[in-house]
Amino acid sequence: MTTGTVGAAAMPAVLTTTRSRAPLGRLLRSEVRFMLRRPRTLVALGLLALVPVIAGVSISVAAGMPDQGAGPGGSAVEGIAALLEGNGLILPVFVLLLTLAMLLPLVGAMWAADAIAGEAATGGLRNLMLAPVSRARLLAVKAFGVATLCLLAVVVISVSAVLCGLVLLGGDGMLTMSGTTLPFWPSLGRVALLALLVTVQVWAVAAVALAISTWTDHPLVVLAAATGGIITFTVLNALESLSWLHPVLINASWESLGDIIRDPMPTDGLTEGLLRALCYILIGYSLALARMVSRDG
Amino acid sequence: MTTVTGMVIGEEEAPAAVAAGAPAGLAARTTGLRKVYGKTVAVDRVDLEVPVGAVLGMLGPNGSGKTTTIRMLLGLVTPTAGSVELLGHRLPDGAAWALPEVGALVEGPGFHPFLSGRENLTRCAAAEPRLATPDIPRAVGEALERVGLSAAAGRRYRGYSLGMKQRLGLAAALLLPRRLVVLDEPTNGLDPAGTREVRAVIADLHAAGTTVLVSSHLLAEVEATCTHVAVLHRGSVVAQGELRELLEAGGAGLLVSTPDVEVAVDALRDNRMPARSTPDGVHVDLTATTAPEVVATLVGAGVAVHEVRRQRTGLEDLFARLTEAETNEARLSDVEELHDEEAPQ
Repeated sequence: MTTGTVGAAAMPAVLTTTRSRAPLGRLLRSEVRFMLRRPRTLVALGLLALVPVIAGVSISVAAGMPDQGAGPGGSAVEGIAALLEGNGLILPVFVLLLTLAMLLPLVGAMWAADAIAGEAATGGLRNLMLAPVSRARLLAVKAFGVATLCLLAVVVISVSAVLCGLVLLGGDGMLTMSGTTLPFWPSLGRVALLALLVTVQVWAVAAVALAISTWTDHPLVVLAAATGGIITFTVLNALESLSWLHPVLINASWESLGDIIRDPMPTDGLTEGLLRALCYILIGYSLALARMVSRDG
Repeated sequence: MTTVTGMVIGEEEAPAAVAAGAPAGLAARTTGLRKVYGKTVAVDRVDLEVPVGAVLGMLGPNGSGKTTTIRMLLGLVTPTAGSVELLGHRLPDGAAWALPEVGALVEGPGFHPFLSGRENLTRCAAAEPRLATPDIPRAVGEALERVGLSAAAGRRYRGYSLGMKQRLGLAAALLLPRRLVVLDEPTNGLDPAGTREVRAVIADLHAAGTTVLVSSHLLAEVEATCTHVAVLHRGSVVAQGELRELLEAGGAGLLVSTPDVEVAVDALRDNRMPARSTPDGVHVDLTATTAPEVVATLVGAGVAVHEVRRQRTGLEDLFARLTEAETNEARLSDVEELHDEEAPQ
């Protein structure tokens, strides 16, 4: 059936269907393409890709000049460097754990902030609501976009770190914290598993940020809340006297991620962290949905 | 190309339009619409009727509730009370069925500065349920052409002038054939040429049978393009109906040029015809009498009549009368309140 050139002269002659909803795949592609066109997305991804390069170069320089490490603390740097020398696949683990502490959650929060609050501020959200895209669907599309970008960020860091590690530090396997050495492919598997677990943790932060994002028209509010929240949680997590509170803190899971380089790998902490993140995701998206359906467009 | 039917399968059937209560001739109707933000009543008891095929101008001073009414009409905002029927579907449940056939430009264009005009429009098109995927580039191209943005389509939205931004918003509303097009202050920021183009677009839509709802505080614009008018003031509709009828009902008068002003006024008043002297001569109110009677009376009284012409109330007069009367009344009641209670509003 060809419905090609129908339409009066005064109206655009376009194919129309009788759907009441645009195809979901088209909406999701459009959202991700849109997010990737945003200059700050590209800058953020580029900077994240640089982190492993900086870490790798500084470590290999430190390892190449052992005489420089004479001052206090120098021996520690030398120690890490010595551990990493010829053990390049540790670099992605090191960099992923480092960026999970602050950078990755912030980048995730930034995307969540732009997704709803930022779009509401420019009026783009209204265009989508008028198309119409139902509120629940709109949230799903936005959540998918943010989650995809978070995954992409982790993948970018991981790939960059694996390449840097292998090029700058060399090695064909991984020396675990337990003292054993894993061959190359299982080591790479560990890195991939860690990347996945880190992604889920970032998703948890982004889900909460997206919930905040539905409550405001100012992306900066979301970013400020996320930054404040991460710092507060880090402090709370460091206070031993508040250990009763630790099980509900999202970043309590982040320490146990180091288990990934033990051999054999203990899974209790990793599983607990995963479940905790899933709880955050569930709560975050529930709050976001509750607000989204009543939000003024 | 064959996907059209395939995609329809599996879609829920459109709920039967709530035709029972809705007269078939209305594209949109609001009943007792009310919106309260905190303690501010933005819109109160708005019963708006948009007849099919009409170009309805929604007039009102800034802050009279035009945009709030439109936002409720389109399901962007949930009313505090009252109901909305859009193209026969009751909102909010019917929004999915009504909105694909509604094109709207509300509160200025909402686009992204880092995308080009074409990319911005493509993003809007991707969300349009009625637009088939292979046809998006063509629909976008035609909409750009229609608002005269083809040459600037590849440029970033960031660099657009206010008028170009407004045109792009208009293009988004015209991406595909619509049954109702809602334009909130469409000529904001446009130069006279742009304003004329918007008028031409509205005239095109009207000629094609599309219902148009256009809000404005520019009276000339409404008078030039609209068939119907609704006047909003302080959140309520103070008048609505066909533009022609409203103008005629608006106190038609007769203007008589004469050197014998005092004699003329006295003669008319003796015959119970309300008359008053004006700088141009004598103004006679025609609500209770007719022009021939007035002329006969004047001639009978020996008044030299140089010229008699019917005075047609312009929209501006009508608007001023409707809104200022209200304001004066409101001021009076404010004053009374001041006497009654200590606290003014």
